Amino acid sequence: MKRKIDWSYLISLLAALILALGVGAGIMALTGHNPWTAYGELLKGATGCDSLGEFFTGIWTKRQFGNTLEYAMVLFLTGLACAIGARVGIFNVGGEGQLYLGAIVSAYIGAKLSGGPPALVILLAVLGAMAVGGFYAFIPGWLKVKLKVNEVITTIMMNSIAIYFCSYLANGPWKTTQGNRVSGTDTLSPALQFPKLIRGSNLTTAIFASAVIALLIWYVMSKTTTGYEMKLTGQNPRFSKYIGLGVDRLVIGAMVISGALCGLVGMFEVYGLKGNYQDGISNEYYFDGLLVAMIMRYRPVGIIGISFLFAFLKVGAAGMELNAGVPGELYRIMQAVIIFFLAAESGVSKLLRARLEQKKGAR
Amino acid sequence: MKPVVELEHITMEFPGVKANDDVSLTIDQGEIFALVGENGAGKTTLMNILYGILTPTAGQVRIKGRPVTDWNPRQAIAQGVGMVHQHFMLVPSFTVAQNIVLSREPRKMGLFFDDEAAQAQVRALSQTYSLHVEPGDLVSQISVGQQQRVEILKTLYRGADVLILDEPTAVLTPQETQELFAMLRRMVEEKHMTVILITHKLYEVMAISDRVGVMRQGKLIGVEQTKDVNERILSTMMVGREIVQSEPVKSHSFGEVQIQTDKLWVQDDRGLSAVKGLSLQVRAGEILGIAAIEGNGQSELLEAITGMRPITSGQVLLRGEKVNGKTPGQLRDLGMAHVPEDRMRTGVCLGLDIADNLLAGKQKCAQFQKFGIHQNRKSIRSYAQTLFDRFDIRAAGVDVPVGSLSGGNMQKVVVAREFSQDAQVLVISQPTRGVDVGAIAIIHRWILEKREAGAAILLCSADLDEVFRLSDRIITIYEGRVTGTFAAGSVKKEELGYYMTGDREERGHEA
Repeated sequence: MKRKIDWSYLISLLAALILALGVGAGIMALTGHNPWTAYGELLKGATGCDSLGEFFTGIWTKRQFGNTLEYAMVLFLTGLACAIGARVGIFNVGGEGQLYLGAIVSAYIGAKLSGGPPALVILLAVLGAMAVGGFYAFIPGWLKVKLKVNEVITTIMMNSIAIYFCSYLANGPWKTTQGNRVSGTDTLSPALQFPKLIRGSNLTTAIFASAVIALLIWYVMSKTTTGYEMKLTGQNPRFSKYIGLGVDRLVIGAMVISGALCGLVGMFEVYGLKGNYQDGISNEYYFDGLLVAMIMRYRPVGIIGISFLFAFLKVGAAGMELNAGVPGELYRIMQAVIIFFLAAESGVSKLLRARLEQKKGAR
Repeated sequence: MKPVVELEHITMEFPGVKANDDVSLTIDQGEIFALVGENGAGKTTLMNILYGILTPTAGQVRIKGRPVTDWNPRQAIAQGVGMVHQHFMLVPSFTVAQNIVLSREPRKMGLFFDDEAAQAQVRALSQTYSLHVEPGDLVSQISVGQQQRVEILKTLYRGADVLILDEPTAVLTPQETQELFAMLRRMVEEKHMTVILITHKLYEVMAISDRVGVMRQGKLIGVEQTKDVNERILSTMMVGREIVQSEPVKSHSFGEVQIQTDKLWVQDDRGLSAVKGLSLQVRAGEILGIAAIEGNGQSELLEAITGMRPITSGQVLLRGEKVNGKTPGQLRDLGMAHVPEDRMRTGVCLGLDIADNLLAGKQKCAQFQKFGIHQNRKSIRSYAQTLFDRFDIRAAGVDVPVGSLSGGNMQKVVVAREFSQDAQVLVISQPTRGVDVGAIAIIHRWILEKREAGAAILLCSADLDEVFRLSDRIITIYEGRVTGTFAAGSVKKEELGYYMTGDREERGHEA
């Protein structure tokens, strides 16, 4: 079967982006900023490059560009986690809680076994983070399948439980004894922390693992028999049951993998970025990923692509705030504008198509 | 006779298709005009133009002498044209009266909905046209036949005197169909209304219409007085060639019992017993037909046998082995195939293409996978293409989404998948509901071929003719119990009706 690229959707996406930049420029002009310089600062903030020449020569050494790549990694991992569930028809809104649990469990393992061989400790931390995230997602999955409990409600509530529970651990039993910090777990020994790829940036070797994971998820979802069964289940569960699929098993399985992936993102944050577990370790990362997944209609390739764009805007907005004085919240506005326009996309393109046909008909 | 609708040289082009090709047709006041044709012949398109939903590429429409300029349903309604669609457009949580007055509600003080006035108006309307409905009933709780009456009243409430009905009998029982036809006759004779009936059931055309127009591939092939034609002539006009109805071979020997139920009890969705201690058995090489009026437990029975619905008590035996509680997947592995009654919801996955729908259930076969995981698209495609050709599915190719196919072709996809399974037991429900004549003949031939090959077939259909034509034995079911068993040819259709409505019953027998 040919899988065609949805050009009309890509064009709509581009139009939405241009409109969002336009709206952003309008707001800046109204509030007394020069949009031209601000967008220049945004570009610089996301890439660290001052001139066009630098894009080709020096971009791979820029701290800002490293941060952009790191945030894109977080976005596409969480976005893919959401897409795995959505593909079988279950909507995991609990990725934030799964991420926190993965972060604190991996931080605890690293702190307790700090003297052990790094490769083994990291492996254990990965397994621990994925296990706890997966288990935490298993609960709402099981409730949905067996008792028909709406997973959106359970996962949202379980987010709060997980985040406050982690906070309790980080301020209580698992609190660090190093120095006189008020909360957080012990800082990992340097041997356990992922090496930085660009000095001073957030970018670590975790990006290689993430690339492999993304490739794997894309492959399973679009090229394998399992991916085919997932698609059937998500589109028509009754048909899937009739045809002989284990619908319940597929739904719970997808949920567990989605949760495990979120747990792993938490582990990456601890071992790559922060060096220990601290409250607020995820700045609503999962919800950003969830938006990305929804915008790209849960398609793996699209999610990976758009993650870079959104990371670019978000990291760039920080630079824009610093150097042009434009509040970084502008990023949120632009994001919202893109989402609004894309939400209206199907309606608008239908309208345009109808107009075209009417013109032909009236001829 | 005064012409009430005049269609002149109507052409309607969609990208790549001419749905209507230079159609000219005049319909007179006070007649019942039947428009017949296979699925995709352009009947519904033509009527959607008349009703103002579509704007024709070329041509003109005159309603009561006035040319139509503004193409929208509101305009058509103002001219007295009403249309009842194949799929009803009612609000289930509203009452009958609320549905009928919707968009033109009587108001108190110009602001508040006046429910009493609405009920009174609807009651008066239903008396005027002798279309009995209970204005206070919720639409979700009335029968399909009644819902159709509500749809018709809705158009009458808006002042329609030209009524377009799109496949009105597709969802009705034989009795409800009779009632509808009597109703339409009365409306035409007493109120001088005009009725346009879209259908592809030819015996209905013969039973009700005054004139009949036949469409094929967007063209109007001919318009005839109904009394001058017969079903054979019409079907030849529709298909463009004569349909050979293969007569089933009735006398042959049966094999071992393949599938049987023993005192089976099954509940419906509301938790009430729908199947009450029902026993039946089907032998190899035999077609057992179920004759029952919709809602008497036959749907729940077939779902229970195929593992789609839990069994309360009793047994289902497959070749003597108990299979209660097995999943549909396990039953498939044991050699059972199932053509479900609701093909849109259960039989296909609308969003996927034909190839993926034909593959379903066999996706783990070695020939469709490499390394036990990677889908072998090439072999899937060629397999799908083989079935596509063998089962005469009409579409641009195997990568067309199933949701865009006509009812007949969608059903061919279901049948192709289920019949290519080498199953020894076939459970078939409504094999030709909403399917055009050409495809019906083909599907009937395939079912008979399966029987010749020794499969045990349990067949359930709302179309009594179909049950009569195909079955070796017929059982009647009323309120979840078997009320009679008959050998093919030993009983008349009218006689079966008594057993289907519970007026007669053979006591204490097993099917």
